[in-house]
This record gives sequence, structure tokens and C-alpha cells, in this order.
Amino acid sequence: MERPRTKLIHFTIGLVMLALAVGAFGCGGDAGGTATTAAPTGTTAAPSDATTTTEAAPETSAAEAVYAKFNAMTGQERHDALVAAAEEEGELNIYTSNTDMDDLVDVFEDLYKIDVNVYRGNSESVLQRVLQEQAADYFGNDILETNALELNVAQEKGFLSEYVSELRDLVRPEGLKPMWTASRFNVFVVGWNTELVKPGEEPKTLEDLADPKWKGKISMEVGDVDWFTALYDYYTAEGKTNDEIVDLFSRLAANAKVVKGHTVQGELLSAGQFSVALSLYSHTVDKAVKKGAPVAWKTADGSFVQPLVVRPNGEALMKTALHPAAALLFMDFELAEGQQVIADATRIGSVASAENDPLVGAMVVEVPEDKLLNEGKKWDDLYAQILEGGEKVK
Amino acid sequence: MMQRARDAVISMQGSGRRRLPMLPSAQTMITGGVVVIIGYLALVPLFYLLWGTFFDEAGLTLGAFGRAYSDHGIGTLFSNSLRFAGGAALLSLVVGTGLAYLNVRTDVPFKALFFAASMIPLVIPGILYTIAWIFLASAEIGLLNKLVEPVIGTQPFNVFSIWGMIWVEGLHLSPIVFLLMVAAFRSMDPSLEESALMSGAGKLTVFRRITVPLVRPAVVASILIMVVRSIESFEVPALLGLQDGIYVFTSRIYYTLRSYPPDFGAAGALAITLLAIAVVGVFVSQRLGSRGKSFQTVTGKGFRPRPMALGKWRPVAGAGIMLYFLVTVIAPLTVLLYTSLLRFYATPSLAVFKTMTLNNYVEVFHMDSALRALRNSFVLGIGAATIVMLLTAVAAWIVVRSKVRGRGIVDQLAFTPLVIPGIVLGLALSFVYLRFPVPVYGTLLILLIAYITRYMPYGMRYASTSMHQISSELEESAQVCAASWWQSFRRVVVPLLTPGLVGGWIYIMVVSFRELSSSILLYSPGNEVLSILIWEQYENGQFTELAALGVLMVLALVVMVVVAYRLGAKVGLRSE
Repeated sequence: MERPRTKLIHFTIGLVMLALAVGAFGCGGDAGGTATTAAPTGTTAAPSDATTTTEAAPETSAAEAVYAKFNAMTGQERHDALVAAAEEEGELNIYTSNTDMDDLVDVFEDLYKIDVNVYRGNSESVLQRVLQEQAADYFGNDILETNALELNVAQEKGFLSEYVSELRDLVRPEGLKPMWTASRFNVFVVGWNTELVKPGEEPKTLEDLADPKWKGKISMEVGDVDWFTALYDYYTAEGKTNDEIVDLFSRLAANAKVVKGHTVQGELLSAGQFSVALSLYSHTVDKAVKKGAPVAWKTADGSFVQPLVVRPNGEALMKTALHPAAALLFMDFELAEGQQVIADATRIGSVASAENDPLVGAMVVEVPEDKLLNEGKKWDDLYAQILEGGEKVK
Repeated sequence: MMQRARDAVISMQGSGRRRLPMLPSAQTMITGGVVVIIGYLALVPLFYLLWGTFFDEAGLTLGAFGRAYSDHGIGTLFSNSLRFAGGAALLSLVVGTGLAYLNVRTDVPFKALFFAASMIPLVIPGILYTIAWIFLASAEIGLLNKLVEPVIGTQPFNVFSIWGMIWVEGLHLSPIVFLLMVAAFRSMDPSLEESALMSGAGKLTVFRRITVPLVRPAVVASILIMVVRSIESFEVPALLGLQDGIYVFTSRIYYTLRSYPPDFGAAGALAITLLAIAVVGVFVSQRLGSRGKSFQTVTGKGFRPRPMALGKWRPVAGAGIMLYFLVTVIAPLTVLLYTSLLRFYATPSLAVFKTMTLNNYVEVFHMDSALRALRNSFVLGIGAATIVMLLTAVAAWIVVRSKVRGRGIVDQLAFTPLVIPGIVLGLALSFVYLRFPVPVYGTLLILLIAYITRYMPYGMRYASTSMHQISSELEESAQVCAASWWQSFRRVVVPLLTPGLVGGWIYIMVVSFRELSSSILLYSPGNEVLSILIWEQYENGQFTELAALGVLMVLALVVMVVVAYRLGAKVGLRSE
């Protein structure tokens, strides 16, 4: 009985010590900031303080020196040198909210001898993770691949490094931002169930759907503030007043069944729970069509409800990358070979191909990112009020 | 045993003291260690939350409460929330208690199956369970409505209503109550009921006057968890309430967390309100427990919890249970199975049946990280469940049995993580472990810590509820026989606690598979868990594949629950 008892005592002491140590660190807050475990010794990365802006980065990081070198090169020479350097690094860490990332990585890993590690989360988690890690000088990712709003925050915080290449010059203008580059677009479309909406009866405009005859037959999504804000700007530019716009959306809301999540919205649309959904992603509808579901966002003659709201999703180089050449190579790849992978997933790539442009003939409205970033609460509240108020109207 | 215990004491006095004169006793160290661990686990996220709620750049502020509570229409939100939470808590309490009673205290048929089936609503991811109910009971496309309409001429079901919300949430939560009550009924001495029956009381009177009062600690624990859980719940109100404009309080919190910068303060304000409710609830349950012997049915007097013969009611109970499972388990599960065989959901018809395929299952097995994620989820589920139950077994002893001043605080601490939103827990943990000298961040260990923290409140309720039922005289006799504290704890208390510990263990293991809100922030490449894959399928619009994954999860977990049930029946109090 003696030995187990001594063991137990040691074990308990160990536990208490551990807990106390942890407690001390837990409460110590920022004090432990230098004691990182994963920060490699090889880089002299100097991440700027989380609150400073782009200009404030005091010195050039090791990664930035690599970026500068390759950014200055072009053509085959750049590609060959980049592949050599990237394969030398041998690894790449991507943080992304793109759920099709596996397909891209598979092709990339087939092409190059580079192991890719992917962290995927919703865009809010991806951003929070990067914010937390950068504040603690932990450099978990080389590439940040996510939605516009989150990329803009990272840009403002000074986490991102400039990307220059001939491929970037081919990207649609809506997708060119100072420190990040769009790789694909989410396009909000009005979709309908083709069994419940017969040919010829399809809605032509959003105003059509505000008609009481659509009561209970249309659907809006509870979180699509970005879609709403873009259309708000569009109608303002068309000369409508604030009251007119709020009235239009309130009448739409009065007709609408409110859902949460585009996947649920798409699934319930094809199941026939409602006839029309106002803010589906085009790729959700296109994917369902491929499977044979009775849904569409274009009529037989190819017309659709205008305008289309687009929101870029993009990628950026981290200033603190541990594998900068591999990161650059992946950026190049996603704008070249990657565009086909993106198209195969029924998504809309950021490089417009002349022969097959899914957005041809579309009036395209961009989501006003600065508004959402700077006055997010205001637009959240307005959209929430419209949705809730709409319910009271009926 | 007595001899061995005495030997142990002698050896302790002889050698232990001499070699380590300054060391406190094992009891002090183990209980002290557990208190420190629980305190640490609970306080880290709590501090993070309080800081975010009460401090901004300008210093101390109460602005977060203003943002959370001052909005227009707040009265309606509160009344909706209360109706929803109250209704769901009541439903899960009635259903969970009823099923547990039948399973443990009567001779209903098919017990192991019945036990597993009672757990299925817990196993199915919330989003799948809710959507299955939309497919069943929506006014527009509901299958049940389509079945019933020709017979009664109207469509009676509408899942998009406060009643639909209560129904789905209540059923989804009922397994927590079921497991708690199973443990309570297993530790109940039937002789009390028998004496009442002998004295001429009817069976219903016995149930009402004897059975229910005896398990009151478990009832209070259930109510406490259910109310907090359903006030916090967002999924069901979002999917079923929004459509017809039934907003609950959490709908508003959802907005504050998804825009940038996320308003953790406003979310914290809600959490603090819930914390107040929880503190009062835990306090009430402690007062109740302190009424000492009234619930202690496991005493020095031996008993065998013998099931009551239902007699002529047996077929009726059997049929009732069948009907219940048909409606709450088989129907949604069938919808999921049906959906998992389709390329997209459509109401059943001959044409649809012709398109059925196993493709979705093939896709699931082709997923790159599916196997790794499954393994990680298993490791985390089993690890978290085991550690939580070990910790809370000791903690429950401290709270219920010891006479240490301030022991109630341990109970309160262990319960606080229940009100902390998963994302806040994730942020708090990454904040701490990014600055920690030992690599925890980026490993499976950080997920384990997160899960232990999140599920500690449940473990605590399970363990302390069972502890209330055990009379201290058993431990006292062990100590009279010179057993050390640790010996009597390990050899007497833990075995008697087994029904509660097993219930809590099963619960934690199962829900660990679903944990998403903190996992999504804390996992790292190579450490994927199953809930992340489910989220990806969902995010990608692959609803039919998601259904296939859900069906596979139900199968896997039912097997595990049946195994755990058999093991539990072996080591715990036998009811045959």
C-alpha cells in the first residue's frame, strides 16, 4: 500500500503545481507574450502592434523581403524561382473560411512538393484566431483566405503584405484591394422553385416580390445585412429616399418567411417550403441544379432579377509568414489553375474568362465593405428592425 | 477489507509521516487539488467574459447591459424566451422523468434498446433534428400533415410556432433529464414505496407522494440545467421561430456576435443574467440537499432496487413507449435516413424513390479527414467524460459531504461554464495558451481543456445529485474500520455513485461529438473533430451528405451507448 500512496501524493502535488502555474499564467495576461512556443527563431518578423495601421510596421520582416524579391520578377523566370524556393520551404499553412479549400489543395499538392496544412472555420473564427495569434506573436498561418470584411480588418491591422503579379492584373476590378486579392465572388441571386413558380411567372424585380400576392411565399435570410446594405446603396443611387427603401424592404419582409443560413434556405426552397428566396448564393442554386433539384435563378431565356449583389472572397500574404515563397506560389496558383477548380465547384472565380463569364449581362452591385466595417451596428439594427417590423405588418 | 485498510493506516502512520513530515493528508491534497483545478477551469473564461462586459477603452462601464437590454420590444423578447424556455424545460422534465421511471423502476420490455432510443435525440446534431422536424410538421411540406390531412381534413401540425419550438427543444433536451433521473431511480430504495403500497396507497399516490419527493434533488438539477440551456438555445428559435416572427432574446445576441467588431460585452450581459439565475438555482439545490437524510436512500441497510411489476399495464406501457418512439425518434430518424439516400430533398413519391442512391455515404467515407476526425472525437469524448466525472465526483463529495466552510462555492464555480458562450470560452483559452510555456495551443490538449470546462457543470449536477442519495453512514463505517479517506472514497463512495457517474459520462461523451462553437476556434490542422466536418458539409450546402453523416453518427453512438449501458449495469447497482 505504501508505494501507490507515495505515487498518489506526487501526482497530487504535480496537479496542484500545474494548476497554480497555469493560474499564474492565466491571470498574467500579456506578460507572457514573449514566451511563445511556435515562433520560429529563423524569422525576424516584427508584427506591428494590434492597434496600429498599415504604415506603422517598423521594419521589413523576413517574409516581406522574400515577397519583395519575387514581386519584382515576372513570367517563367519568376515561376521557376518561386517553385524552387517554395519547395525548399516544403510546407504551407493556410487559414481559410473557404469550404472548397480541399479541392484546391489537392491540385496544388499534386503540382508541387509542398505539404499544405489547412485550418478552416467560419469567417468570424478565422479572423478571431488571427487576431489572437498575432497579438501573442504566434505565427500560425502564411496565407489568409476569407471574406472581404475579415480581410479588410486584417489589412487595417497591418497583418498583410502586398502581392504583385501579372495574374493579379487579370482579376475583376471589384476584387482588387490594396493588401488582398479576390479569388472568387459570392453572388447573391433571387432563386425560385421551378415547380411552384411556373415559366412566365418568375419575378423580374425585387419590387414584384413586394406585391401581397407573394405573401408567405418568399424567404429572406436573417443575417444578410451585407446584401441589404448593397441594395440600399443601389436604390439610393437610383434616386430612392431612405423611407422609400425601408418601405420596400418592409413590404418584402411582410411577405417573407425568415430563415437562418443559406444552406437551410436553399434546401427548404427545393423542398417547396417557400417559392422564392431573395438572397441565395448563386453557387448554392447551381449546385442544386446540377443534382437535379427543381430550382433556378435564371429563366429559360437567361434573364434574372437585377441587380446582382457581389461580395469578393480573397486571399492575402501574411507579413509574418514562415513559408513566404510557398504562400506566394499558392496565391499565383489560385489565380491561375485554381480558377478552374473554383469554377468546377460552381463558384464564380475572380478572373473573368472571356468565353464564359457567368456575370455577363449582369448589373453588378458591390457590398459596401467600409460601411459594414465602420457602421456595422447601424446596418445590423436597421435590417433587424425591418425583418421584425415586417412581421408585425401582417 | 478491514484488515487491509488497517494495514494501510498503520503503514501510513509508520512510514508516510516519518518521511514527509510537512505534507498535508491525501484528503487535503486531493480535495484541494480538485478545487484548484475546478476554480482555474471556471475562472479563466469567466474573467475573460467579465472583462469584456464591464471594461472598454474608457474603463469600467455598464454600457454592455444597455446595448443588450434597452432595445425596442424587449418585453416581447423576454416573454417569448420565458415561454419557450419554461415550456421546453417542462416537456423535457416530464418526458425524461417518465421514461427513466419506466426504464428503471418497472418491468417494461426491451430495456437496453429503450435506453439507447431515449438517447437518440441527444445524438442527432441539433440542426439535423430541427430540420427533420420541419420536413415532418411544416404546414407547407410536412409529411405528418400530408398523412393526417386525408383522415381528419385539416393540417393539425405547425412546427413554426412557439409550440413547435417547445416540442423540438424539449425532446432534444430530454435525454439530459432522462440520464439524471435514471441515476436517481437506480439508487432508490424500493422498500419505501412498498411500505406505502402495503399501507393501501394507490400506485399513482405512491409515485406522487413517495417517489417524486425522494428524487427531488435530481428534479431540481434537471430544472436548473434545462432552464439555462433553453434560454441560451439559439438553433431551434432561429430555425423555427424566425419564420413567423417569433423572436427570442438570443436572436439579438446572435447579431451582436456576428458583426465586426463582435460585441462580446452584450453577449456577456446576457451570460451574466443567466449566471445570476444559475447561482440562485445552485443555491436552492444546496439548501434542498442540506435537508440531509430526506433523500438518502442508499444507506447501511442493504436493498436491491427491484423493478415494479406493471402487471396488466405492461402491454399498455409497452404500446405507449412504442408510440412515443415512433413519433420522437423513428419519425425524424426515418426522415434523415430518407434524405441521406437522395440527391436533394423532395417529398416522397415513386419518382423520388427511383433516384435513391448511396452516393452520400460514399462521399462521407471519401472525406479526407473523416477517419482522423472520428478518432479525435472519440479520444476527446472519452477523455473529457472521464476526467470531468473524476473531478466532479471529488467535488460533489466536498460540497455534499465535507464540512469545509465555503464548500458551496465549489458547486457554484463548477456550474459557471454553463452560461459562458462557446466562442468566448474559445477566445479565453486561446488567449491564455498562446502565452503558455508548454505547447498546449495547436494540440488536441486545448480542445480537451475546452470540453472539460464546458461539460463540468453537467458532470457536477450528475455527481452531486447522486451524492445526495448516499447516506454518510457507509463512509463512516469504513472510517471506523480505519480506512483512510481515499480508501473509503475509492472503495465505498465511488462505487455507490456509479449510476450518476455513468449517466454523466454517457452524456458528456455524446455531446462532445457535437461541440462546435469553441472547437471551431481551437482546433488545428491534423486535430480536426467530427463537428467541424459536419459544419463544413452544412456550410457547403451538402444537406443530403450531412444527413448521411448524421445517420452514421447515430449508429456509432447507439452502439457505444448500449456498450456503456451494459458496462454500467455490471459495475453499478443492478436492477434485475
